Amino acid sequence: MVNSFDIIPKYWYNIIPDLPKPLPPPRDPQDAEFSRIDLLRKILPKEVLRQEFTIERFVKIPDEVRDRYINIGRPTPLIRARRLEEYLKTPARIYFKYEGATPTGSHKINTAIPQAYFAANEGVSHVTTETGAGQWGTAVALAASMYDLESTIFMVRVSYEHKPMRRTIMELYGAKVHASPTDLTEFGRKILKENSRHPGSLGIAMSEAIEYALENNYRYLVGSVLDVVILHQSIIGMESINQLEAIGEEPDTIIGCVGGGSNFGGFTYPFIGTKKGKKYIAVGSSEVPKFSKGKYEYDFPDSAGLLPLVKMITLGKDFIPPPIYSGGLRYHGVAPTLSLLVKEKVIEWREYTEEEIYNSAKIFMKTQGIIPAPESAHAIKAAIDEALEAKKTDDKKVILVNVSGHGLLDLSNYESMKNRVMKK
Amino acid sequence: MVAYMTLGYPNVNDFYEFVDNVEDFGVDILEIGIPPKYAKYDGPVIRKTYKIVSNNIRNYYEILHEVKERIKIPVVILTYLEEYVDKLGDFLLKLKESRVDGVLLPDLLIDYVDEYEKYVNLIKNEGIKTVLFTAPLMPDDLIIKASKLTDLFLYYGVRPTTGVVIPISIDSLINRIRTMVQSKLIVGFGLNSIEDIKKAMSVGADGIAVGTSLIEEVDKNGVNGALELIRKLRGVLDEYY
Repeated sequence: MVNSFDIIPKYWYNIIPDLPKPLPPPRDPQDAEFSRIDLLRKILPKEVLRQEFTIERFVKIPDEVRDRYINIGRPTPLIRARRLEEYLKTPARIYFKYEGATPTGSHKINTAIPQAYFAANEGVSHVTTETGAGQWGTAVALAASMYDLESTIFMVRVSYEHKPMRRTIMELYGAKVHASPTDLTEFGRKILKENSRHPGSLGIAMSEAIEYALENNYRYLVGSVLDVVILHQSIIGMESINQLEAIGEEPDTIIGCVGGGSNFGGFTYPFIGTKKGKKYIAVGSSEVPKFSKGKYEYDFPDSAGLLPLVKMITLGKDFIPPPIYSGGLRYHGVAPTLSLLVKEKVIEWREYTEEEIYNSAKIFMKTQGIIPAPESAHAIKAAIDEALEAKKTDDKKVILVNVSGHGLLDLSNYESMKNRVMKK
Repeated sequence: MVAYMTLGYPNVNDFYEFVDNVEDFGVDILEIGIPPKYAKYDGPVIRKTYKIVSNNIRNYYEILHEVKERIKIPVVILTYLEEYVDKLGDFLLKLKESRVDGVLLPDLLIDYVDEYEKYVNLIKNEGIKTVLFTAPLMPDDLIIKASKLTDLFLYYGVRPTTGVVIPISIDSLINRIRTMVQSKLIVGFGLNSIEDIKKAMSVGADGIAVGTSLIEEVDKNGVNGALELIRKLRGVLDEYY
């Protein structure tokens, strides 16, 4: 099968008009010296900002973006996990959508491409962003190069030093990668003055990327939390709907992992909106217990407090996660639309420990041959549990799970996870 | 046309001068902001006026009373429910004594959506009109319900925060709601270019609310500047009546 225009969806899906309750709007903090909402206007590409606040149910994907989606291998495969079914001896049919099949190895590229396109389209020559482990930075570096944009990535210093391969990939795509804090921004210089060997943080890197974009009139690309990111990720769900229809399947249970919520929302919202499926399960980590311990309140999406406050399930912006394997799940909050849907019980949640997901990842590797990203292994664990539950009642239901990325660049994480699990 | 001004801004005398003239310059309803501690959904321009006013003025209700002595057009108070939720009876009584016509609480259908009908009834029982504030992020059925409960008009805030100009497709936002509601529809919250206003009116808005741009005019050119802006916008609106 050759990738073609026909298979790629023409529209992104936006859940806003279909939510059961009004979505609390973003706010500026009390006594704010400057408006965070106004700041968005200055740093985001105009069309990205328009889409952030759109209430259209379906938003047209520009042809130029669909073309690049084909270029990175969309549609990504939807695979029936037959060996996993056999291993579990379950009557359920398990399908997984494999977002690890893109060049950058995760779903992040799905929003980096349109954001870079909209920036290029308004005549900007240069984009910035921050990255922790490197997934998002890699996606931005590639997307920028696709539209002949320059890109500057502020990478948290500890990651910069500990993940040189990630840095290399970004640089091969043509990005300039700096260990944050840097002396390129006022904020970075201030931090360095206090501690010249500061290890950095995502909040600092984000502040630097925003300041750098503001100073130079570049545009800043946003990696998570904002609704527009989920809108772009809905390509995953829209595509899955087409693929399932083509083989005459209807999903019953739909599962994804949750860091900030973009891959989960992008995968499940088109199903929720079109009332396909009966049960939706969001999976987090027991070590970052957002669903079980988080509060539903207004909080900053970023630790520096530069973005507007949003109402979400959150452990607090200053939550310090334990150094677990799944970098992508360490985030303190859950995207506002997803938080609302969890609160309204449209979506169920699960949380699993490192040990539980390590064992599930191993089963998946053994049966399907894919090393899943540790984040994705959370969703796989839930799919396995659901399949085993179906076995008890001889339920032939269809389980659909999103494998949001591969784990080939997380091998050191798997290594340390293995050591910890063995010790127990 | 609905014109917004923060109570007693920029000072009490200028504020009265504004109030005395708005009707002649073409305003149908005057909306007056009572400073809350936290103006959750206001932009920096209006937030700044709240700060100035709350530092300078002690008795808001005295001024409101005086406003009603001076003009005949309806006066609607804008403030946040959050501020008064524990002492709502007392607050409503004071509004009633000041003889204001209505109250608009932008956070009612957002932060108190589970019990908004209770608050609407409390307000109506005091004989005060309730103007409901809706926004694009609200689901269809809530907007329809609100349009049936609202008095005077339904206020539709098209941007997340007043005065911050986010690029949105105003016509599609208004098209959606116009097909759902029968009530009078006033569009506001960051609607300040002539082009925006024309778009809003041409797809079926019954009028507009202006606030931030009036305050910017007061800051630049005084009360007369703001009144002139009202005259100009009135001219734009009149093309659609």
